[in-house]
Amino acid sequence: MYRNDRVIPFFTLVFAAALFLMSYLDGRHITALSGGKPQPLSVGQIGLISLGLVFLVYGIIGYISVWLEGRELRPGVHKARPGKAQWVGMALSVLAVALSGLFVQAIVHSLRTQENHPGAEGIIFGSISLTVAGLLMVYKHYYQDDEVHVESEDSEVPW
Amino acid sequence: MFSWLDERLALSRMYKKFFRKMFPVHHSFFLGEITIFSFLTLVLTGVFLSINFEPSIRMVQVGTKQLPAAYASVQFIDSLPFGMVIRSMHHWAASVFIAAAFLHMIRILLTGAYKKPREINWIIGLLLLSFAVMAAFTGYSLPFDAFSATATKVGYEIAASIPVLGTWLGQLFFGGTFPTEHSIPRLTAIHMIWLPLIIGALIGAHVLIMFLQKHTQPKYAEKVAPGKILGVPFWPQQALIMGVLFAVFVGVLAMVAGLFNANPIEHFGPPGPATPTVKPDWYFLWLYGFLKMIPSSWHFTVFGVYVGPEFIGVLIPSLLILFGFAFPLLQPSKTKLRYLELPSEHPVRTATVIGVLAFFIASTIAAYNAELSLSTGFLWFLVLLGPVVVAVLAYLLLRAIYPRREGASGD
Repeated sequence: MYRNDRVIPFFTLVFAAALFLMSYLDGRHITALSGGKPQPLSVGQIGLISLGLVFLVYGIIGYISVWLEGRELRPGVHKARPGKAQWVGMALSVLAVALSGLFVQAIVHSLRTQENHPGAEGIIFGSISLTVAGLLMVYKHYYQDDEVHVESEDSEVPW
Repeated sequence: MFSWLDERLALSRMYKKFFRKMFPVHHSFFLGEITIFSFLTLVLTGVFLSINFEPSIRMVQVGTKQLPAAYASVQFIDSLPFGMVIRSMHHWAASVFIAAAFLHMIRILLTGAYKKPREINWIIGLLLLSFAVMAAFTGYSLPFDAFSATATKVGYEIAASIPVLGTWLGQLFFGGTFPTEHSIPRLTAIHMIWLPLIIGALIGAHVLIMFLQKHTQPKYAEKVAPGKILGVPFWPQQALIMGVLFAVFVGVLAMVAGLFNANPIEHFGPPGPATPTVKPDWYFLWLYGFLKMIPSSWHFTVFGVYVGPEFIGVLIPSLLILFGFAFPLLQPSKTKLRYLELPSEHPVRTATVIGVLAFFIASTIAAYNAELSLSTGFLWFLVLLGPVVVAVLAYLLLRAIYPRREGASGD
């Protein structure tokens, strides 16, 4: 808690995994009670998954934050070093375009056949979004200079 | 172009005032941003849903079946390409909104960030959480399937049980005794217009006050830049990391929404003569569990007004919210809190928060008593004494792991 370290993000990921596991076991229990017939998510499962989602996203962004912003800020401008990041950027851009094409295909297929495949649609759309996140991360880490400022507490921002 | 706009709108000054606001770097601040992004996702997906939703319970012909129009329009949304994913994302985002807001407030409690000068923002946060729950409840009823109609009826009965005001509240929020022909249009207006406006305004005020008062600083900033604000500017640095967070959030949410439909109305069917067995949404389970422990014969009369067990369902959250409002004012301070307090250095507060969490968990367990078959006496022990035991144990553990330091307050 003292600095921007990986301790809490690690435990939130563990916690997220535990909540998802509890939800899965709850689902299995409910299915067994109903004679093996698959049942919709119970309110308890929805709660466990929702809390798990917050912990999961928190854990992921916590790790990303440590990677992109460091454990502690140091005042000044820290120059970015691109290295060979352009290749990673290009690969991610191609992936984003390919996934977008696949998503359009899925929508057109759905329109033609009048059949929806929400699982596939959600995974493709989610993958596009995660690829965009990857691109932004690459840009921030390799191309954006870090500015860290120190200012007075009683500055006139915003009034 | 920019200079033309700048001359008229003073954009440069706005950039310096707002876009160069310093943001601290610490992962614990992302809980607030996850909450805001949940709301943003709710608005974006809600716009699509509102275009296709028909807020009415008039019967319409769909194939060979007569169905309520609201139910049929949700079926139509699910039939659109990507429609089911968008509806499911809306449902999941609503749950995540409440979960993230709750965890954000727990973080504020654990780090003392509710103290002077941030008391007003703490109160706004509590209001936000309350309105988020109301928005989720009103949205829950809209598809008008057998499950949501039954659950909304329970909510109506709780609202109607409030002495003196109950009937009036039923008229205002449910258009009369639920379900009437006015119920769904009324709940739709509240869900789609009034609550988003209120929540949006409260988020705006919350953020603006935070800009004015500045964020609390992570503890390490005390060593790096004592007495100053240490951070990265909103534009471009913080905006970029927020962009990463939003993309990760939407990515994960879309995958979960696609794989797990949180509200499969086809499974429940439209409301019929058979009443399905329902439990309230997960964020009400603790309250439901508590109510389940109170004998149904319990009631009394005050000044001729009947007070029944359902009223406890309104009374307990109201008292908790009132206590929450007063909480920062119970700890007056002459100095402004600048740095996040470490939970380990405030074992009493930390242990109390853990005890409160244990109360919510124990009450939620009580909601499953039909499946667990525990005795009422044991449940009362679990709900009332269990949290106290957990809090004492947490305090002793914290004291053992983090011995008291010289000058530490220990609250």
